[in-house]
Amino acid sequence: MRDLVFAAINAALVKGARYADARIVDSREQKVSVSDGRVEAIESGESFGIGVRVIADGSWGFASSAAVTTEAAEQLGRQAVAIARASALVAGAPVNLADVGTFDTRWDGPCEVDPFAVSLEEKIALLLEADEAMRAEDAVKLTKSHLGFFRAHKCFGSSEGSYIEQTYTESGGGITAVAVAGGEVLTRSYPNSHGGNWLQGGYEVIRSFDLAGQAPRVAEEAAALLSAAPCPPGVTDLIIDGSQLGLQVHESIGHPTELDRVLGDEAAFAGTSFLGVRDLGQLRYGSEHVTVTADATVAGSIGSFGFDDEGVPAQRDHLITDGALTGFLTSRESARAISRTSNGCMRADGWNRIPLIRMTTVSLEPGEWSLDDLIADTDDGLYVETNSSWSIDDKRLNFQFACEIGWEIKDGERTRMVKNPNYTGITPKFWNSCDAVCSRDHWQVWGLPNCGKGEPMQVAHVAHGASPARFRGIRVGVGR
Amino acid sequence: MNRLTADQARQLAARVVALTQADAAETLVISADDSLTRFADNRIHQNVTETDTRVSVRAVLGNRQGVASTNRLDDESLAGCCADAVAAASAAPADPEFPGLPSPVPVQTPVRAAEAAAGFGPEQRAEVALGIVRQCSSRLIQAAGGVASTLQTVAIGNSLGVDVGMETTSVRATVLAQSDRGGSGWASFFGPDPAGLVADALGDEAATLAQRSEYPADLEPGSYTVVLAPEAVADIVDFLGYLGFSARSFEEGRSFLSGNLEKRIMSELVTISDNACAPESFGLVFDYEGMPKRRVPLIENGVATSVVTDSYWAARTGRENTGHALPAPNAFGPMTLDLMMGAGDSTLDEIIGSVERGVYVTRFHYVNAEDPVPVTLTGMTRDGTFLIEDGALATPLKNQRFTQGAVAALNAVKGVTSERAFFDVMLGSALVPGLLIDGWEFTGQTG
Repeated sequence: MRDLVFAAINAALVKGARYADARIVDSREQKVSVSDGRVEAIESGESFGIGVRVIADGSWGFASSAAVTTEAAEQLGRQAVAIARASALVAGAPVNLADVGTFDTRWDGPCEVDPFAVSLEEKIALLLEADEAMRAEDAVKLTKSHLGFFRAHKCFGSSEGSYIEQTYTESGGGITAVAVAGGEVLTRSYPNSHGGNWLQGGYEVIRSFDLAGQAPRVAEEAAALLSAAPCPPGVTDLIIDGSQLGLQVHESIGHPTELDRVLGDEAAFAGTSFLGVRDLGQLRYGSEHVTVTADATVAGSIGSFGFDDEGVPAQRDHLITDGALTGFLTSRESARAISRTSNGCMRADGWNRIPLIRMTTVSLEPGEWSLDDLIADTDDGLYVETNSSWSIDDKRLNFQFACEIGWEIKDGERTRMVKNPNYTGITPKFWNSCDAVCSRDHWQVWGLPNCGKGEPMQVAHVAHGASPARFRGIRVGVGR
Repeated sequence: MNRLTADQARQLAARVVALTQADAAETLVISADDSLTRFADNRIHQNVTETDTRVSVRAVLGNRQGVASTNRLDDESLAGCCADAVAAASAAPADPEFPGLPSPVPVQTPVRAAEAAAGFGPEQRAEVALGIVRQCSSRLIQAAGGVASTLQTVAIGNSLGVDVGMETTSVRATVLAQSDRGGSGWASFFGPDPAGLVADALGDEAATLAQRSEYPADLEPGSYTVVLAPEAVADIVDFLGYLGFSARSFEEGRSFLSGNLEKRIMSELVTISDNACAPESFGLVFDYEGMPKRRVPLIENGVATSVVTDSYWAARTGRENTGHALPAPNAFGPMTLDLMMGAGDSTLDEIIGSVERGVYVTRFHYVNAEDPVPVTLTGMTRDGTFLIEDGALATPLKNQRFTQGAVAALNAVKGVTSERAFFDVMLGSALVPGLLIDGWEFTGQTG
């Protein structure tokens, strides 16, 4: 692979590129899903190809192909230079990259039990067992359970001399029970919605979820939601569980702190950010209880790696420190805009995509509360779990989230269940209303395997550590 | 490696079907050249191209199925892919409801690959970007957007004799124009080739809207009459397809159509169909099982009329197969990919002129569903939101959040524009008009 990578790079340099890198990615995946007692899908796939990225005439060019031969790699290098020269027809300031060391190494992620070696029969049996347990609840009319596995082997080289190979394995899954009656559709999921939970690792990850053991509770809660009261509209103190708070961090801290978004590169698609470079070290993003890190070294997180797709080593960096904005997620190009070096957030979702600034494991650091104490400390509030819907504006300010389930809190007690709870807010005001974060005992890394960004759309595997936290004076029951 | 022609893709599909040691087999081949030039801050910052051919095999053993896919096209890899599909089918439990692969049905494939799209290379895309940027930079406005082309070949074959293939092309351009006085404008183009793409006009449209929308004002949350431009309507119609027009969601009681066929559920001004074969369409005319896509009337003058099916859901429900299968294995059920909403007889300007007080919306941002049956959606307005006063656009407004049932909104339609436009949406494409709607709920605004 090394020879192919450098064949592409050298061809680009011969054609006049000032910088070139190339990535060969060989990936495979497997998905198994069951719905209503029926095996709905057994699917495997593989993808193999090479992408070449160059700077020529001060502009970027990228070309990719599934043909991975010396001749094809050289052709791609030349094609990428031609594309860069077309970019230069509408050029801005010449592209420059922050410095990075050169590395000749490899990195392997954790994997105890190779998930691709575990039989399909065992996976199907697990899903059918969970599915059957959910269908035992009469009100549940639709069930879904699924497992997924992904492995990638990447070979990266650059004209600066780095050559890095990395291999990692990801495993994930989840179950969903849908209760249907009287024109209402109410859903409960475990361990998370929208694809379950995902971690780096092998089949041991799936076994740790205990999907079948959790299935009866999931179905029971879905059924109970049918007779639950609607979430009443109003302004209240809101306690958000770790999984939903992970998505809250994702949408209202992770994306706004992507420096390419701050600089306007994503403006026409997913939008920009309310943040400016000038806000670094100046903006009070949240209360003193809010400290947020971007950490690509969290063991077992799908936001972890040895090196990003620009060859920058994995790092742990602070985005928000005691409420103050102290960092951005950066690339080599964007880091120069804030006179820093890259904190290693550039990843592509395959050989056929350029790397973009992506979240790693972006986490709300734990506080000191227990969840029981936090609820007991709340006179009148709402506790919500598990995302069902999300939306945020093009500057990442006005957001609205809906959750699968909620419970009212009265006089320090969790009381009546409510269905379809939602809440809305403005990002900095919301994070400044945070007055308590639960402890590391409640803190968990939530893998998000479906973060969309960029054009052509790329789907990144990112993660968020979070424990439950409380926010004062939040508007809930919007549009209800 | 070049993109395959339709004949080459059909031959590859047939070869892979023959390689599959199963009772029956189906192969889907998708071969594409995708290119995109993105610009922001008045300069090109991303310029990419990709060539890939992907082969997906569905193996059938009795009533068990398994699927495997690869983009490695050497004989050994293709044989391995077929073996993986067979192994998956072997592991699957019996599925008594699986009706088997569909038998061939004649498909007329029109020519929908435009030569002009094939010649739309990086220099041509850069020229379009330059034209757009000039319109904006000359007014001290920042342009962002993209110019993209897709050349795609799709072929499907199965062991029962299905053998279809088709090439399609599309060209897309978007422009976001932003001023440093809070103005934001948008324009977009989506068509089979670049013939109708006029860079200066697109840039001018977005830049003019950005200038017109500077210094936006607050709006109190509440219920408003709205005029939705076609691109905003496309998002609404897209979610109707995602959540409600499928036989699966209908049968499972998750659709607004469940229990409502033959009933009037929307304004009589609303007519929606799915029609890949319309002359103005430029997508595939067969589905991912190789079955012809049929025109399906979904809402006719406000009355719920039908749902779309694939081979599985047609057999399960006793309905006709309308040709709306997604690639196997399909956990979503059949889906509409070519939605069309009927036009009205008033121009957009005439409809705005009929509104005494209301809100005009250029497009929406980040729309998501909160409740599937009423299709309760929330999202933001973006790139040109205006108060309408006395029949004309008046004060520009900050971006507004809405929380609104889509079915209820389409039951409150009071006007439909004669102009319609194509948009590429979450599920395929949509051809839609603008709408005048009463009682639209705005629930907040940006900070």
